[in-house]
Amino acid sequence: MMKVKVRFFARFRELLGADVIVEVGERTTLPDLIKQVTQKNVEGHNAIFDEHGHFREYVILMRNAKRIDIADAAMNIVADGDDVAVFPPVAGG
Amino acid sequence: MITIQKEDVDIGKMINDAKQRGTGAIVVFDGIVRDDDIREMELEAYEEVATKELERIATEAKKQFDLFSVDIIHRIGRLAVGENILIIIVGAGHRKEAYEGSRFIIENIKKGVPIWKKELRRNGDRWVQGEHQHGSGKSP
Repeated sequence: MMKVKVRFFARFRELLGADVIVEVGERTTLPDLIKQVTQKNVEGHNAIFDEHGHFREYVILMRNAKRIDIADAAMNIVADGDDVAVFPPVAGG
Repeated sequence: MITIQKEDVDIGKMINDAKQRGTGAIVVFDGIVRDDDIREMELEAYEEVATKELERIATEAKKQFDLFSVDIIHRIGRLAVGENILIIIVGAGHRKEAYEGSRFIIENIKKGVPIWKKELRRNGDRWVQGEHQHGSGKSP
């Protein structure tokens, strides 16, 4: 098993908590990882995924501080020690 | 200085510190908590990434507009109406570069730096919607 850190920000943090360490198996993709973390939290899950289980178009993903296009997320296999961030559109300034 | 912090800063001192030999113009942008019928504003950042993004924007602005100095202070935490949220101080040889550099920096901060604002309102709290709503994860 591998350990991966998942962090949520802003509205997603309020729904799902600031961060969680998750144990995942081999060949776990980014969508699999986020679904595993959100599966027991309907409101949090529905904020991130649509009814077909796809990322909502406003969701932003980062893996080890690098942005991942949600269209490419399923091609990303997580690795031990990864730091994944999930957040809504930014509104600084 | 490029930083994300809770504390306010002395803008007058920052302007003085930004002056260098050859400086002909300093433009200060000060983003302030506006009284939109709110009690306070709460700001949150993905700090490691946001700081790096601010540094990247400052470096790009310096190069593109021939700026002598760029300081960016973005505050987080709870801020009351009238408090400073974001201070950008840009020093250049001439006003044109200073104004354009300042504008470039604020627009890029709005576009892609992971910072969020929540309005704490009398009739319920509300996350401020970003101006750039697509979240396809593509770099700004």
